Amino acid sequence: MKSLRILACTLAPAVFFLTGCETAPTEAKYVASDSTNTIVSLDQINIQDWNQAAEKMVASLLTSGVLERAPQQPSLMAISRIINNTQQQIDTDSLTKKIRVALNQSGKVNTTTTMGLGGNAEDPMAKEAAQMNAMLSGEKQKTTLPYYTLSGKLIEDRARAGSTRQVTYTFQLSLTTVKDGIAVWEDEKQITKQGKKASVGF
Amino acid sequence: MKTIPILAALAALAGLAGLAGLALTAGCATNVNTVSRAETQATPTFVGDKRVITDASLGGLIRIVSVNESVVSGNLKKVQVVLENAKNNTRAISYKFEWTDQDGMATNSIVQSWQSLQFSGRETLTVSSTAISPKAVDFTLKLKEVSKIY
Repeated sequence: MKSLRILACTLAPAVFFLTGCETAPTEAKYVASDSTNTIVSLDQINIQDWNQAAEKMVASLLTSGVLERAPQQPSLMAISRIINNTQQQIDTDSLTKKIRVALNQSGKVNTTTTMGLGGNAEDPMAKEAAQMNAMLSGEKQKTTLPYYTLSGKLIEDRARAGSTRQVTYTFQLSLTTVKDGIAVWEDEKQITKQGKKASVGF
Repeated sequence: MKTIPILAALAALAGLAGLAGLALTAGCATNVNTVSRAETQATPTFVGDKRVITDASLGGLIRIVSVNESVVSGNLKKVQVVLENAKNNTRAISYKFEWTDQDGMATNSIVQSWQSLQFSGRETLTVSSTAISPKAVDFTLKLKEVSKIY
């Protein structure tokens, strides 16, 4: 019996180390969106991918020194076309909204919500209210043109070696000054995931 | 009579553990050789740092080489930390920067999240963060070993 106890005491830590400290959740639970416990998929852009791409882009833009060149601080930016060349249907706001919020918090850039691609305002109520205000006051509507536009593209590249799959998502962004159409800042962030199946945590 | 097979099983387990340990320490041949200018021309502003080690294992695996800072975009702090894999095998860790303001209040931004980092053997990598808020003055870099839930 003593020997069995010794064996049990020897194997217990081994089993603990082999299984790890955490176990897979069997029932739904909350995990922090910015934690390392989120799901890593091979067939879609995950929440942590958007977070990483946005963080890299914001840091790159802020360290580029471009934003200080705008004559007015904070400068005004409009969101242009973000082309989705991936296989999945995505909302590009998953990337652009994080960038907008961060730039707004930095005090460097504000984003217009009454001017959008093809004349579609993000906030049509604000646009109509401004028009109504101009009409009632008899004054000409004052329109502030954006100094910058933000455009970009999302690209997907897939490869396979035997049963191992690999997917690379490329996030490309350009900041263009409206007055001359020159892209004054551009950057790219690639995220590559490899494996045979999705996993929980990274 | 019963103790002999049990002792033999323990010896076999010890042998397997030894082999596994050898395999882990030997790792794959992924060490990184480097070459750079003999006398660096950069003049970084190094930051004195305070380290809190709660995972001694990670503390021995990933070495913090240096911490330096600069100011970007006129009034935003940027910090860079140089990390070195102290072992010969490949390694993956997760890291996250957090910023605090003059009053010690967190100024965490929407774009500050845990990120993954892969090292080759003995490789040195830099991680950096730019404070989103001009009010941010201090930073904390959190490091942890990759631990898949399954």
